[in-house]
Amino acid sequence: MFCREQVAQLRDAQHEIRERGAELVIVGNGAPHFARAFREDFALDGPLLVDPELRAYRSAGLRRGRVEIFSPRVAWNGLRAIRSGARQQAVQGDPWQLGGVFVIRPDGKLTFAHRSREAGDHAPVADVLAALAPDAPPVEETVAAPRAQVWLGRALGALVDPFIVNSFDRTGFRIHALRFDPNDLDVDLGGRRCLVTGANSGIGFETARALADLGAEVVLLCRNRERGEEAVARIRAETGNARVSLEVLDVSKLADVRAVGARLAASRVDVLVHNAGVLPDARTETDDGLETTFATHVVGPFLLTKLLRKRLEESPDGRVIWVSSGGMYTRALNLTDPNWKKRAYDGVVAYAETKRAQVVLSELWARELAGTSVVVNAMHPGWADTPAVASSLPLFHRITKAILRTPAEGADTVVWLAASPKARETGRFWFDREARRTHFVPFTRNSEREARDLWKLCEKRARSGGKTPDARRRKVAR
Amino acid sequence: MPIAKQLSSMELCDADGAACRLGAFWGERPVVLVFVRQFG
Repeated sequence: MFCREQVAQLRDAQHEIRERGAELVIVGNGAPHFARAFREDFALDGPLLVDPELRAYRSAGLRRGRVEIFSPRVAWNGLRAIRSGARQQAVQGDPWQLGGVFVIRPDGKLTFAHRSREAGDHAPVADVLAALAPDAPPVEETVAAPRAQVWLGRALGALVDPFIVNSFDRTGFRIHALRFDPNDLDVDLGGRRCLVTGANSGIGFETARALADLGAEVVLLCRNRERGEEAVARIRAETGNARVSLEVLDVSKLADVRAVGARLAASRVDVLVHNAGVLPDARTETDDGLETTFATHVVGPFLLTKLLRKRLEESPDGRVIWVSSGGMYTRALNLTDPNWKKRAYDGVVAYAETKRAQVVLSELWARELAGTSVVVNAMHPGWADTPAVASSLPLFHRITKAILRTPAEGADTVVWLAASPKARETGRFWFDREARRTHFVPFTRNSEREARDLWKLCEKRARSGGKTPDARRRKVAR
Repeated sequence: MPIAKQLSSMELCDADGAACRLGAFWGERPVVLVFVRQFG
């Protein structure tokens, strides 16, 4: 009844809202079919969205509770609503949730905020219209996670974390997100230059978009020019940030890494995100004689980091992020046959072994760059519904689709590591904004010597790979 | 963190089930963003 009363008031004011160059966007918390019926009842022709999990409601700091529904004021509000012609229908959504109204300008500034204190406490329409005036002053408003919510997030997280499915899936993200500090990403990255590999889709795309949204200059490093250009255009349009560009790069090709790395090193580099990934069915080899997964996840990123090292060290707040995978928990570092010349190829194992190698490399780079401004970290995004997962692991994708995280949820910790002032630890492995252990079982542990051998192997491959045949011959002659 | 920034990257479904990024609505013009209690 109350929501009908409120929507009727705002719908009647819709032409005045549009006259002021604005749009009315309505969010409800039921299922899409409730929204369709609601749209028909009110003949709404603007955006009508659903948030059944109440994520946006929580982020907007809207109240929820029984006291707010059964207070004496609610009875008074009910009489008013009935007098205005609104009638109670079957509850379609969360009965304990309260609403609110916000006026948001294109620059992200808020000029009006009203959070209902109890059911029927609506924003005055005149105040909403006044907030659409060009000279309406912004309302200073931030939302901090309530302390009880943070504790709940920690308690539920401790319960679900031992169970991989309920931790890596979307439920896990939403539980962990209860303890996130929303102010962590209240940052302006203007003046910073961020490079993201594999950025035309999935987690890489969401990372690039979020960094552009925070004001950074973002360079997307993608294999495919057409898809990369589409991603750049989309990010520019959605964020209004024109400082988004493309470099075509296949990180598995060391000659390309050298050429593009040299170009990128011509100006500042503050953030480098190693996100590009592959999971081939069959063994393939690069021009440098490396197995493709090993080249893409390990040697290529190692070489790119080396080429950009000086620029990263010049940054006042340099950051390198390795987007690893929870799959690395299942495998140890494999240095006896990293190029799969002696074993029957298994793409999933190759993927997990190289993701383990990324975690070890991240720790080694953190040590290498200790004492500089650069922090180096690895993370895993959980199970996210990305095009790469759908194409590389179709069965897994089919079975788990309903519980997978969104790409933006998968990218959340990457963005946090790239942008948050709090993320200044180095050499750690992160999941949902929290440092995690890197081993669950003893057989995946490696010795210090094995870690050093990985570094030497990468040095050797990076030194020899990508050179022209002439250069290689000259080296042999020497 | 400002609410607009916090909501900006959030994806919700529209009445037809299509995913929409909230921030896209105020990318080019102001919006009146209304959260209703429920659809009843």
